[in-house]
Amino acid sequence: MPPREGTYGLLAEFNTPSELVHATEQARHVGYRRMECYTPYPVEEAAEALDFHTTRVPLLCLLGGLMGLTTAFLMETWINVWAYPLNIAGRPLFSWPAFIIPAYEWTILFAGLSAAFGMIALNGLPQLYHPVFNAPNFRNGATTDKFFLCLEAADPKFSLTETRAFLETFPAVSVVEVEH
Amino acid sequence: MAHGHEQHGHAHYGPKTLPSNLDAPAIVRAWRTRLLIVGALFALLSLAFIFTHEGRNHILRAYLMAYMTCFGFAGGSLAMLMLQYVSGGKWGLLLRRPLEAMTRTLGLVALMLVPILFFMKHLYQWALYPTTEATAQALAAHAINAEQALTANAKRAMLSPVPVVVQSVIIFGILILLATLLNRWSLQRDSDPARGTQASFDRWRVRFENLSGIGIFIYVVLLTDGAIIWIKSLDVTWYSSIWGLQFLVGQGYAVLALCILSVILLSRFEPMKTLLRTTEQHDLGKFIFAFVMLNIYLTFAEFLIIWSGNVPDEIPWYLNRIHGGWWYVCTADFIFHWVVPFTLLLSRDLKRNKTKMIWLTCWMLFARCLDMFWLIEPNFKDAAANLHIHDNIGILAYITVPVTVFCLWGAYYLTQLMARPLVNVNDPHLEEILEPEHAH
Repeated sequence: MPPREGTYGLLAEFNTPSELVHATEQARHVGYRRMECYTPYPVEEAAEALDFHTTRVPLLCLLGGLMGLTTAFLMETWINVWAYPLNIAGRPLFSWPAFIIPAYEWTILFAGLSAAFGMIALNGLPQLYHPVFNAPNFRNGATTDKFFLCLEAADPKFSLTETRAFLETFPAVSVVEVEH
Repeated sequence: MAHGHEQHGHAHYGPKTLPSNLDAPAIVRAWRTRLLIVGALFALLSLAFIFTHEGRNHILRAYLMAYMTCFGFAGGSLAMLMLQYVSGGKWGLLLRRPLEAMTRTLGLVALMLVPILFFMKHLYQWALYPTTEATAQALAAHAINAEQALTANAKRAMLSPVPVVVQSVIIFGILILLATLLNRWSLQRDSDPARGTQASFDRWRVRFENLSGIGIFIYVVLLTDGAIIWIKSLDVTWYSSIWGLQFLVGQGYAVLALCILSVILLSRFEPMKTLLRTTEQHDLGKFIFAFVMLNIYLTFAEFLIIWSGNVPDEIPWYLNRIHGGWWYVCTADFIFHWVVPFTLLLSRDLKRNKTKMIWLTCWMLFARCLDMFWLIEPNFKDAAANLHIHDNIGILAYITVPVTVFCLWGAYYLTQLMARPLVNVNDPHLEEILEPEHAH
């Protein structure tokens, strides 16, 4: 794939999460949709202001759990009833109470692994390059004490001049153009 | 979201102000009246069972079940109150006053034990044959079997009328002492002249922690004893070392359900409207989820150990609770007590939804009662491995009597809830709880 060129978006830097959330809400209000907030710690209001979709991680976790449960339970059943039947203290071969604990452990294991790897995959990680790192102030602030809002050029409403003018109506520390 | 479109200022992100009136809303009085009316109606219904076959016995057993559940609320709330003092956290501040109100019902619960002690002959075999001679006679008359006679004699020091009364008095004496101290200090803490200062916060925190740490240990020991003498000794031959813990976890389950129900219902009105944030409701949902898991863990562990052991001494306890129609009850118990709360509480949205949590907590309280029914009723000869309604209509007392008792207890709980402001103000968590959601 050839490298993409041109403007990725406009990046506004804020000092407080409240300012960021306010600007995000307003941007959404006037019609911007392709945008993202970058914060040093989770700010749930920002996710709300972005109208962030619910993720599929819980679903993956649930499916993983169910898969672990059925795998373990069926495996134990198969081993004990057909593959290697053993008479243990005269109990029936299908002694389900004894199968519960390993099935439970597998449920947790599969659910945990699906949640962790599912989250990583849905986040699009590992990601080796992201355009916002081209902004020098982003590198310094995004993981410490600054809050960023990026309005992306992919948005149909995006215009270098008007979007910049819009972002400058907020108490942003700076508004910089980010290259691809 | 009406507040989402304010054009200027960030008022809706700032801290909220504490309402000037922190007393329980006037509606609580109306709730109490409703409870008393329902309680009276069910009391009348219960009276009808006196005239049925075995009706009086069933009323007494159902009363024991109601008593033990109310003890779970009062005692469990004491444990939870001490737990939140040692663990800290905003959820603790939120639940503190409802928990205190529940602990102040301990006196009433102690009084509720009196009829059981008075009629103990009709419930407990060890009370019916309180001496070695009486046991020997009962054995000769084939009223009890040899194992029951031998175990009853071996356990006589603990299980006979006078020791049980003494143990009950000790249990309630110590619990009421702990509850009184914690409740008194809580008021003194609010009226501290130095309130609001770090020195005052630290002084009270340390004082509460010092009592609560040892208090939790004392509670667990006393509860284990109480669970043995009041419930487990219904079957004198049975042993299980997990018994006390199972009740402890069951109490946590019920107390949290009742607390969540209380604060959500109260949050329709000030001051709880300001105090209950979705964040804390979500946290409480996760906390009760832990109890749902722990409860099934202990219950299943007990079953699995006894199933693996396959010892004739122990398995009849389960056989009596599985065969003869009890299979339906224990399946329902499993579904009500674990499957439904577990699957529903997995959902984040449900834990943050007030209406759904109201329904779920009511469901969970019902499940506790079903579990208690399954623990108590099969201990008796006519019901062991033989659940039947034909010629046994009195068993329905298990519905009416507990409703009566819960309504009366609930009315007293609400009275206690109205006695104090709904939040402890001299606590550093108060400021945090007034912050907007998710402010870090």
